[in-house]
Amino acid sequence: MKKESKPNPRIIRRAAALFLSAVLLGGTLLTAGCSTSAKKELNVFVWTEYMPDTVFKAFEKEYGVKVNVTTYSSNEDMLAKIKGSNEGIYDIVVPSDYMVKMMISEGLLQKLDQKKMTNLTNMDTSFLNQSFDPGNAYSVPYMGGVVALCVNTKMVKEDITSFSQIFDPKYKGSLVLLDDFRAVIGETSKSLGYSLNTTDDKELTAVGNKLAELKPNVKLLDSDSPKTAMLNGETSIGYMWNAEIAICMQESPDFKIVFPSEGTYMFLDNLCITKGAKNSDTANDFLNFLMRPEISKLVSDEYPYLNPNKAAVALLPDSYKNSPASNIPSDVIAKGEYVQDIGTTVEKYDQLWTTFTE
Amino acid sequence: MRMKLKTSHKLRSKMLPLITMVSPVTLWLTLLIVIPLLYLLVISFASTDASHNIEFSFTFKNYAKLLDPTLLTIYGNSLVVAGLTTVLCVLIGYPFAYIMARTTPFRKTLMMIFLMLPFWTNSIIRLYGWRTLLGTNGYINNILETVGIIKEPLNMLFTREAVILGMIYTLFPFMVLPLHTAIDKLDKNLLEAASDLGARAVRSFFHITLPLTASGIFAGVIMVFIPSLGYFFVSDLLGGGKSQLIGNVIERQFKEAFNWPFGAALSIVLILITLLLVKIYTKAGGNVDELGVV
Amino acid sequence: MNKRRAVKATKKISARIFSGLVFAFLYLPIAIVVLFSFNISKRNILFEGFTLDWYSVMAQNDALLQAFANTLIVASCSTLIATMIGTLTAVGMFRYKFRGKGVIDALLYIPVVIPEIVLGIALLSVFSLCSIPLGLISMIIAHVTFSIPFVVFTVRARLSGYDRSVEEAAMDLGANRKKVFFHITVPILLPGILSGAILAFTLSIDDIIISFFTTGATSTTFPLKVLELVRSGVSPDVYALSTLIILVTFTIVVVSQTFAYKRNKKES
Repeated sequence: MKKESKPNPRIIRRAAALFLSAVLLGGTLLTAGCSTSAKKELNVFVWTEYMPDTVFKAFEKEYGVKVNVTTYSSNEDMLAKIKGSNEGIYDIVVPSDYMVKMMISEGLLQKLDQKKMTNLTNMDTSFLNQSFDPGNAYSVPYMGGVVALCVNTKMVKEDITSFSQIFDPKYKGSLVLLDDFRAVIGETSKSLGYSLNTTDDKELTAVGNKLAELKPNVKLLDSDSPKTAMLNGETSIGYMWNAEIAICMQESPDFKIVFPSEGTYMFLDNLCITKGAKNSDTANDFLNFLMRPEISKLVSDEYPYLNPNKAAVALLPDSYKNSPASNIPSDVIAKGEYVQDIGTTVEKYDQLWTTFTE
Repeated sequence: MRMKLKTSHKLRSKMLPLITMVSPVTLWLTLLIVIPLLYLLVISFASTDASHNIEFSFTFKNYAKLLDPTLLTIYGNSLVVAGLTTVLCVLIGYPFAYIMARTTPFRKTLMMIFLMLPFWTNSIIRLYGWRTLLGTNGYINNILETVGIIKEPLNMLFTREAVILGMIYTLFPFMVLPLHTAIDKLDKNLLEAASDLGARAVRSFFHITLPLTASGIFAGVIMVFIPSLGYFFVSDLLGGGKSQLIGNVIERQFKEAFNWPFGAALSIVLILITLLLVKIYTKAGGNVDELGVV
Repeated sequence: MNKRRAVKATKKISARIFSGLVFAFLYLPIAIVVLFSFNISKRNILFEGFTLDWYSVMAQNDALLQAFANTLIVASCSTLIATMIGTLTAVGMFRYKFRGKGVIDALLYIPVVIPEIVLGIALLSVFSLCSIPLGLISMIIAHVTFSIPFVVFTVRARLSGYDRSVEEAAMDLGANRKKVFFHITVPILLPGILSGAILAFTLSIDDIIISFFTTGATSTTFPLKVLELVRSGVSPDVYALSTLIILVTFTIVVVSQTFAYKRNKKES
C-alpha cells in the first residue's frame, strides 16, 4: 500500500466546520458592521473611471453619508442589471442620452426634486432641455464628449481630416476602434452622408459594403482603454473617446486630435435617480452637490471629458481650456449627433456588426 | 451470515441513501437551471416590439436566422478555437500530469502548489500581462530583436494564435487536475507486471495507462472544451475583439441589440451542440458505465 | 544495464525540462505583474523605474481590500457547499441506477456550457422573483451553481474503477452507511474531492460576469474591482495586491506543507 499521508476524515470534518463557521462569522461581522452604523447610505451605480474618489470623500464628509460605489462599463450592462433587479437596489445611475429616454419610458427613473436643484444655473444652457428629457425632469447633465480620431503624427505622415480617410488600404492593420457598433456603424453612415441613426435599408446596405473596406484596417477593437494601443505604438490611428485622446496628448506631443469633418458621434451622460430609490433625499442632494463648480472641477481634473458646467470650466486650468480634446470647440458640438434608439432596426445594425467582426 | 431482507426493506434501504445523495443537486438544478432554461426556451420563440419588450407571439424567426452563413461561420470558428485549445491542453497537460503523479510525494505537492498559484491571481491581470509580453513593442519582441533573432517585430498580439494561447493559459489546471487524479490512482504494479511479461514502454502506455486514465481525459476535455466555447473575454483581450466568437454575439443580444429572444435561440443551439458532442464523445470513447452516463 | 540507466536518466532530464518549460509559460505574465507592481509609471506599458509607493496606495484603498475580503468569503463558502453537494452527487450517481439519471447528467452540463451572461441574467431574474436580496448570499448561491458540475466531473474521474468490495466488506462487518461513506469512500476519493474543490475555488475567485449580475451595492468582488481599474490601463496598486497575494499564499502553503511533511517523517 502506498504510504500517503491519509488525513483523518474526522479531523477534516471538524476543520471544515470550524473554517466555515469562522468565515460566516467573519462575514456577518464585516457586513453587519456596515449596516449597524446608523449612518445614512447612498448607492451609486456609475461608469468605471468616471467619478473620482475625491468627490465621494467630499460628499461623505459634508453630509455624513456613506457612499457605496458599484461600476459598469456600458449602458446596456447597467440597464440589464436595473431591469432584472428589484427596485431601489441603486439610488443613482448615470445613463447616456438615449438611455435616459429608454429608462423614462420603462418607468425606471423618478422625477427629480426641482427645489433641490439650485445649482442647475451653473450649467451651460445648450446642454439642458434635451429631446431625451425635456425640462430636465429626470436628469441633470454630468459629463459629455465626442468620439474622434487620434492620430500619431510620427507614424502617419498624411494630414487626416475626415473619417473616410481611414478606409484607405494603406492603413491595413493599423487602427484601433471602439468596440461599439453604434459608434462605428454610425460614423461610417455619416461618412457616406447619412444620419448617425439611419434606418433606411438601402443606406444600411451601402454602409455594410463600406464596413467591409474598413475591416482589414482594424488591428483591434477596444472600448476599455484604446489609448493603451496608441501609447505603446500598436496602432497609428484611433477612433475613440475624446478624454482618451486628451490623455494621449498629455503623454506625448506626437498625438493630435482630429474631429471628423463629416460630424461626430456625441454623447452626454446624465445623473438620474432610480424609481424606488431607498435614499431619494440624499440622492437629490448628491446631484446638486455634483453641480457645484468646485466639485465638478474635481471630476474634470481626473477625467478630462467635456464639462457642461460653465461655472466649473471657468475654474479649470488653461491646460484644459486650451485643449480641444477636452474643451471641445463649439462648432464641433453644433455638428455633432447623438445616438438615438432606433427600435427594432437595431437588429439590422447587429447583423452588420456580426459580419464586420466575423 | 447474510440476513434475508424483505423486499420492502431492500427498497427502503436503497431509496434513503439515494435520495439523500441526489436530492440536493436535483433541487439546486431544478430551481436555478431548469426554470431559467425553460424560460429561455419559451422566449426563443418570441419576438420584440418597438420598445424592445418581449412579445410572446410564437415564431421560428430567431432560429431561422441561424441559417445565416455569417453566424454559421462564427459557430464554426468557436468550435475550432475550442477544439484546438482542448487538443493542445491534452497534449501538454497529460505529460505534465503524468510527471506530477509519478514523482515523490513532496515534489508532487510542490508541483501542485506551483501549478495553482498563478491561478489564484486574477486571470484578467495575467492576460494583460500577456498583452505586455506579446505586443509589437512588448518584451518578447524586444528581447528577440536585441538578440538579433528577428529583424521586424513579430505580430503576435491580436491574432487567433494569441487567443488560443490565452485560452490554454486560462484553462490549463482544468485539464491537469482531473488528469492527475486519474493517473495518480494507477497501480504501478500493473505496469511492472506488463514489463515483466515483455511489453515495451510504448505498448504498455497505449494498452494499459491510457485506457485506465481515460476517465481523467474525459473530465479534462469536458471542462476545457465547453467553457472555451464561451470564453469571449480572452478573445477580446488577446484577439483584439476582431474575430468574435459565439459568446460575443450572444452577449450582444442581451445588451446592445436588445434582442433577448434571438440571444436565447443562440444559447439553446449552443447548449444542444454541446450536449450532442458530449454524447458522441461518450459513446465513441467507451467507459460509459463507469461514468454513470446513460 | 547501462543502456537502461541511460534511458532512465534521459527520461528524468526531459521530464525536468518539460515541466520547467510549462512552469516558465505559466509564470511569465506573473513576472510582469510583479515587475509592474514596482513601476514608477502609472500606466502598464513600460517599466520606468522602481518604487514601493503602490503598496502603500493599495493598503489605503479600502474599497479594493473590502472587495478582496468579499471574494474570499464568497469563494470559501461556495466551494464548501459545492464540494459537499458535488461529491454526494458523483458518488450517488455512480452507485445507483435510477430513472432520471440521464436527465440530471445532461442538466449538469448546462451551467458549464450556458453563456455566462445568460446564466447571470437568469439567476438575477430568479432572485428577483423570490425576493432574495442581492449581496454575498445571492453571489454564493450563484457561484455554487456553476461550481457543482466541476466538482462532479472531477470526483467522477477518480471514481472510475472504484472497487466497491471494500465498502461491502465493511458493511458485512457491521458498519452503517454513514460510517462507510465518511471513513472509507471519502478518504479514497479525497484527491478527487480536493481537486474538485480547488477548481471550484479558482472559478469563484475569478468570476466576473455572473458576479456582476448577482452582486449587491456593497458586495462587489475583487475581480469586478480589478476589471474596473485594469480597464483604464492604470492598475499598479492592483498589481501590488496581486503580488502580495501570491507571496502570502505561497508562504502559507509552503509552511503548512513543511509542517505536514515533518510530522509525517516523525510518524514513520
